[in-house]
Amino acid sequence: MFREPTWEKTIDTNGKGREKAMSRTNVEFLPRDAVHQLQMERLQMTLNRAYFNVDFYRQRMDNLKILPEDVALLNDFRAFPFTTRQDLADHYPYGLFAEPLKSIVRLKISTPGLGDRGKPVVIGFTRHDVAMWQDLMVRLFQQLGITDRDIVQVAFNFSLFPGAFTFNHAAELIGATLAPSATISATMQLQIMQDFRSTVLATSSAFALHMVETMERLGFTGAELNLRLVMLGPDPLWEETRERLENGFRVPVYGLYGVAEMVEPGIAGECSAKDGLHLAEDQFLVEIVHPVTGEPVPRGQEGELVLTTLTAEAYPLLRYRTGDITVLKESPCSCGRSLARITPVLRRTDNRVSIRGISLYPENVEEFLTSLDPDLQDIRLVITTSYGIGEHLEILLARDPARPFPEGNRSQYLDSMRSHVRRALGFGTKVQLVDFERLPKEGLIYKTVFRTLPPLSSPE
Amino acid sequence: MLKVIALSARYGSVQVLRRVTFHVSESEIVALIGANGAGKSTLLRAISGIHRPFEGEIHFVNTPIHTMSPERIVQMGLVHVPEARQLFPNLTVLENLELGGYVHGRKHVLAALDEMFELFPILAERRRQKAGTLSGGEQQMLSIGRALMARPRLLILDEPSLGLAPLIVDEIYERIQALHRNGTPILLVEQNALGALAIADRAYVLETGRVILSGNAGDLMDHDDVQRAYLGKDYRYKWER
Repeated sequence: MFREPTWEKTIDTNGKGREKAMSRTNVEFLPRDAVHQLQMERLQMTLNRAYFNVDFYRQRMDNLKILPEDVALLNDFRAFPFTTRQDLADHYPYGLFAEPLKSIVRLKISTPGLGDRGKPVVIGFTRHDVAMWQDLMVRLFQQLGITDRDIVQVAFNFSLFPGAFTFNHAAELIGATLAPSATISATMQLQIMQDFRSTVLATSSAFALHMVETMERLGFTGAELNLRLVMLGPDPLWEETRERLENGFRVPVYGLYGVAEMVEPGIAGECSAKDGLHLAEDQFLVEIVHPVTGEPVPRGQEGELVLTTLTAEAYPLLRYRTGDITVLKESPCSCGRSLARITPVLRRTDNRVSIRGISLYPENVEEFLTSLDPDLQDIRLVITTSYGIGEHLEILLARDPARPFPEGNRSQYLDSMRSHVRRALGFGTKVQLVDFERLPKEGLIYKTVFRTLPPLSSPE
Repeated sequence: MLKVIALSARYGSVQVLRRVTFHVSESEIVALIGANGAGKSTLLRAISGIHRPFEGEIHFVNTPIHTMSPERIVQMGLVHVPEARQLFPNLTVLENLELGGYVHGRKHVLAALDEMFELFPILAERRRQKAGTLSGGEQQMLSIGRALMARPRLLILDEPSLGLAPLIVDEIYERIQALHRNGTPILLVEQNALGALAIADRAYVLETGRVILSGNAGDLMDHDDVQRAYLGKDYRYKWER
C-alpha cells in the first residue's frame, strides 16, 4: 500500500544520522482510502498523547466524559469540542505543550498585531515538528517543480513573518541556491534578481505588487528577468492580484497557505494546475464547519476551516478553528495528486484585517486608543487596498469637543497619538481628528472602512 | 496488506486494547513495540483469530478476517509465530515442520521441506531430534520454519528474541531480514525496542493498549519518549511542563 512519507535518512561515515530532504512525496498520490487510514492511525496517536500529556485537553474530555478510544471513525471526532485562539492565549505560555521543554527545540510566538495588547500565543516545536515543517515546505517547493538548479530569492520581512525562514530551509534542503534578500527596497530586489539570475521569487503579495510597479516605473519588464515562477504567502492570493502579477513578471504566480498557530506557511499550496491549494492531509485533519453553528457544511460549500494536527508532538491542536473561510474540493486534480484542496481564503470569521501582511484586530486598536485617551467617542480604521490587499492604514478619531486634550494642543495630541500607534503597530500610520458626525459608516468589519486604490497610483 | 481499524479487546472486564489502528504494507517490516502488559500479544492473538475483539475491524488483503476461524486465517496466509516458540517438544523437528504445512496438503509439505532445510541448515542436521532437546536459538528457528511451512503472505513474529543470547538474537534477526528480502512482509512484535527498530521500516509504540507513537523506525529510535520508556534514559518530571 504505502510507506511512511518522511524525510530520508542518510547515514554518513561516522554513523550519525543526517536528514536529507528527499521528501518521499508519494503520499501526495495515495488513494483516498489509504489517506484516511493514515489519518486514523495518526489521529489515535494525537488523541492519546493529548489526553495523557496536556491537562487542558484531558480536563475537557473528562468533563464531557469522553475518552480517546471513543473515536472509532473520523466522524466520531466531531463530538470533541473546538479549540480556539482564546484557549491558546488563556494557557500562555506553556499550558498546551505536550512535551517537556527539554524536548522542545524551537519556540514561535504568534501575536496579533498591536504587540502586548492582544494576547500572544507560544507554539513549541520538537525536533520532529521542525523536520515535519521543513518537509512540508520541501513538498510545496517540489510540487511547483523547484529543483536544485533553481535560484530562490526569498524577500520577506523576517521579523514580521517568522515563517519566512522555512523558505530558506526548504530551498537549502532541495539543494537550490538561496538568495536571501530580506528587507531591502524593491529596486535593490530587482537589481539582485537580475544580477543573480534568480529563477524563483518568494515574497508577500503586497511586496510583489510593489515590485511590479517599481519595475514598470524603472521601465523594464519581466521578460528581462530569469524568473520561472513566483510563490506568495502568507496572505491569500486573489485572482486579480495573480493576473496583475503574472502580467508584470510574465511567469506563473502561486499561493501558499498556513496557520500562524501551527505552521505558516506549509499547510497547503498550489500546484501548477492553479485549481486550489493541496492540503497536507497526512499532517492535518481537515473539517469545514459553519462558522456560527459549528456543524459540518455540505460538500463543496464554503465554511470555516478547522484543523487538527496529526503528528505535531509539542503543540497538538484538536479541532482548531482557524477563522479562515474557504471551500474544500475533493475532486481529483488535473496534476494527479490525490490530496484534497482548498480555495484561497475567502474571508475571515473574525474582524482580523491585514495591512501589508501585518494582521491586527480593530477592537484591539480601539481598546488601545481608548486607554490613551478616555475621551474618545469613536474611531474608524480606513484601509486603502490595492488588488484586495491592505496597503495603508489611516486612523480617524472622534473625541468629545467639550473635553480638553490630555496633553498640549491639538497638534501635540495628534503627534503623541501617532507615535504611540507607531510603536504599538510597528509601522507608521496617518492619525486624524474628525467630528463625530463626519466619521464614515463602518463596513462589514468592525469600525473599519476599505478604500480601493486605483492601480498604478501608489504613493511610493 | 493488513489493516487493523479501531480494534478493542478485553479479558473479562479488563480492557486490554483501546481502539488500535495500524497497517502493514507489502514488502515492509513493521515493528510493534511496547512494555510488558501493553497489549502486544493480545493484539496478535486477535489478528490470528484466537482472541475475539469486541469492536473494530481487521482486514487482510482487503478481506475482513475478524470473524474468521484461526484455521481459515492461516490458510489465507497470515501466519503467527507465537511467543516462547510453542513447539511440540515430544515430536521431532521434521514432524514439527510437517505440522506447520499440513493445511496446504502433503505435496506442498514435501516441496517446502527442502526449502526450509536450505534456509535453516541446522534444522536439517537435527531433523530426527526431538524439538524439546534443541537449544533456544534452534527452537526459535524451528518455530519460524514451521510458520514458513504454511506459506505465509504475512509473517507475524511475537518476541522472537525472548530469552536468547545476544549473538543468537542477531542471527535470528538476520534470518528475518533475509525473509523480508525474499518478499515476505513481516509484523514484528518486540519488547526489545532497539533490536526491533534496527531492522524495521516503520514502527508503532503501544502503551497500555493504546498507540501513542508511530513513524519511521529510524526516527523513533531517536525519539525522546522511546528512549525514556525503553532505555530508561532521562526520567520525565511533571514539573518540566
